[in-house]
Order: sequence, then C-alpha cells, then structure tokens
Amino acid sequence: MSGPPSIPSRRGRSHRLINKVVATFDEAVADMQDGATIHFGGFASPFNTPSYLVAAVARRGVTGLTAISTSMGRGVKHRDSQSPWLPPELRPLDFFDVALMAELGQLKKGITTFAVGARHDLIYPFEERLTEGSVEVEVLGQGSLAERIRCARAGIAAFYTPVGPGTDVANGKEVRDFDGVPHVLETALHADFALIRAWKADRYGNLIFRGPRSFNETMAGAARITIAEVDEVVPLGDLKPEQIHTAGIYVQRVVVRPSAPVTSWEVPQ
Amino acid sequence: MNAGEPERLHPTVMAMIVTRDFQDGFAVNLGVGLPLECANAMPAGREILLHSELGLLGFGPVISDHTKADPYVTMVGNLPVEALPGMVFLSHDESFAMIRGKHLDVCVLGGLQVDVEGNLANTQFEGKPAGNLGGAPDLAYGAKRTVVMMHHTTHDGTPKVVTRCTLPLTAPRCVSRLVTDVGVFDIAGGRIVLREFAPGWDPERIQRITAAPLEIAADLHEVTLIETALM
Repeated sequence: MSGPPSIPSRRGRSHRLINKVVATFDEAVADMQDGATIHFGGFASPFNTPSYLVAAVARRGVTGLTAISTSMGRGVKHRDSQSPWLPPELRPLDFFDVALMAELGQLKKGITTFAVGARHDLIYPFEERLTEGSVEVEVLGQGSLAERIRCARAGIAAFYTPVGPGTDVANGKEVRDFDGVPHVLETALHADFALIRAWKADRYGNLIFRGPRSFNETMAGAARITIAEVDEVVPLGDLKPEQIHTAGIYVQRVVVRPSAPVTSWEVPQ
Repeated sequence: MNAGEPERLHPTVMAMIVTRDFQDGFAVNLGVGLPLECANAMPAGREILLHSELGLLGFGPVISDHTKADPYVTMVGNLPVEALPGMVFLSHDESFAMIRGKHLDVCVLGGLQVDVEGNLANTQFEGKPAGNLGGAPDLAYGAKRTVVMMHHTTHDGTPKVVTRCTLPLTAPRCVSRLVTDVGVFDIAGGRIVLREFAPGWDPERIQRITAAPLEIAADLHEVTLIETALM
C-alpha cells in the first residue's frame, strides 16, 4: 500500500498524514536490537498469535531477548498439537510462537504463566533451554501478568494484588495488609516492543479484534513500539468509533498478513 | 488404580456431579484438564455464564464438528466453543479484573494436591524445571467458591488428598468442595468431610487411599446427580 500524499499546510510547510502501515514484517522489526524486551501477544492459538511478527524476529536474528508471553509456546516441532480439533490438513501451517525464539537460541529470559509442557512427556523448546541452563524464567499468575502489562500501558508504577501471598510468587516482594487481607506489590512490566495480532486496522492504527482479545489488547501500548499484525487495513472511517477496541494512539506500526499462508519462517515477508 | 478396587467414576460423571449444583445466573470458570469436561455437562435448562481466561464470557458447549466451529472463538485448551446469544469478548486484563474482583461464582480447577486447610497445589509437576501457574492463582482467590475436580490418587497410586501439600502452592486456603473419582468432599475449618462415595466404595476404602484424616458427614450417601448446596 502506498502512503498517503503530502499536502501543503496553511503555513506553506508540507506535512504528512498519519500512516502507521508499514510494507513488510521485516521492516516492522528492523530496529529491534539484541537484548530487547518483547511482549508477545495471543493465547496459544494460530488464530490469535502474531505469527508473522514472530517469524520476522526469528529472521532478524536478535539475541539476548526477554520474552513476556502468557505461554512460552510449543514451537514448530510440536505445531501439530495445536488445534487438535481440526483435521490435520486444515491446521494452519503459518503458525509460529515464541518457542521459535527458544529453538533458535534468541532468548535470555521468559516472563510467563506457562513455562513448560503440561505433561511429563511434553517437552517444548523453552523447557529444553531451562533444563540446559541457558535461559532464566519468572513464572507468575496470569492475572498479575496481565495487570502488570496493563499498568505499563496506563502509567501505573506498581499495584497491590491479593493474589500471591502464601505462595512462592510473593517471595522477595513487599506484602501489605489491606482490610486484613495480605496483598503483594507487583510492578509494571514495560517492554521495548509489543507484538500483537488484530483483525482490522486503519491508517491511524485503530484496531478491532476478532474473538477473545486476550493479551493482544492488553499489550497494545505497554511498549515503546507496538506492532499490530492484521488481516486487513481498511480506509480511515470504516472502523466506527463504537467498534474500535484499541485506539491507534497505542499502536506505532501496522502490518498486513499475506493473503496466502507462508509456511516457512525463513521466507522474507 | 489398584487391582481389585471398585470402579472409579468416569470424568463425565464427575463433571455432572460438579455442575449439578450450578444455579441460574452463575458465572463459572473451568480450568484446563478434567474441569473442561464440565463445559459439556451443564445442567439442562439453566442459564449459566461460562468464563474463560483469554476473554470470553457466556459461551456454550465445546464443538466437536469442526465444520461448525469458528476457530476464533476458543476457550482455554484451544477448544472451539458454541457462541451463545449474550456472549462477550474481553481483553486479558479485563478478564482477570472480573476474576480478582470476585464477580465469578465458581471456578473448577484441576489438582495435584489438596490438603485439610483447603490449600491447593496444581501447577508444578515433580521433575519439571518450572511451573505452569496459568490463571489458577487468581481464580482460586477470586471466585466465590473453588471446586477442585481431580483423580483421587496419581497414576502410581500416591494419594493426592493430603494433610499438608508438599508441592508449591497455587493458592492458600481456597478449596471448599472436592470432587474426585471416588467421592465428594467438603473442606472447611481444617477438616475434610466425606459427603458422598462412588458406587462400590465405602469410607474405609476411601480413607485407605487418602493421606489425611477424613470425617464422615452425618448424611453420608452414594453419589447423586440431585443438586446439593455448594459450600
């Protein structure tokens, strides 16, 4: 898509209209550096994961990353275990999750609620890295993870939650009673990038989502640069004010998914 | 399961026992594992709002025919569910505000260990380098009632109902009702009370596979699908 035109302003200086749409996934992550902290949106399904952004991070090859994600993922090797209710021939093959970063040795740390496979015989890439000692992990409950991210977006430094006292999660953290109930102090979780998946966007970066909005909505605006992977960019005005879930002010870049699935993460997009 | 012991309850029956007590208008969250069986075992004719962590409230049964499923409408476990009139999509932070803010009536969680204080451990398998907390800590705190649905013993016969949890706790003092494959228990005030037993089982047999002292309810009876009062 070509950018909107420059038009002269009343003072005679030309200015550019707002346009957050970038042409390629590689361009969208071109300024990602080693050591970055990244929010990975979605919730373990090919239909809500920003797969093409994940693939672009893999191609970019940055290392020492801190990944914040509700699940540390399954990876390409275990991809078939996703969407088991779909016949194998209908399962999306353009599905890449944060485990790809673990497979490629790009991670330094994971901050997550699901660190490992839920069964003894399910060992995913992040668990392999944990066992070999090459990554660190912080595991916390999903509500605290979500609220820590929301606080980053909302400019709140920290909050007391009643969830955690009496468990390992509270170790080393301040615990304080409110109305006789112990609460633990949790801090905001900022990132350099938030990679999210949405349904439709306009050039302002306004977004609507399809289905449960999960961490995709929560993470928008919780990073210096939020990038939305969308199915479609529609003309400004097509998304009505009553419909918009995420205001474009939280979104810095928008990239459109390819119309036909690309099943290898190595193909430039 | 030991050779010669009576048959244990099938997960579908366990789910029917859990759901028999859900009332019209209840908002209920189902955890991963066994509790997901409850999605397809809701009491007929009652309006119950099912909640799922990723931002879903008011959905219906799990859909088994993929041609009728909307892949974008899935609950935890990545299972497609029926979209019911009145269903709402949420963000993750809103979904957990709803949980933490005590707006849910019941959560049904799986368990690795439950003890006499109602402490719950369900997040870390022995031998794994880290745990899977998921939404369980918030649910166990926030739901007005926490029901645990689990097998009474591990695959190798080790008791999961214990005097004191040895695995890392998900949440302290949260479980009020326990439904296992051998019976139904209420937990309160540091006591586990056996209320109902599976067909063929009796208090002695159940005590033998339980690593905590059981008290016996005055109206102890065989499991029933007739509703009781949820604690």
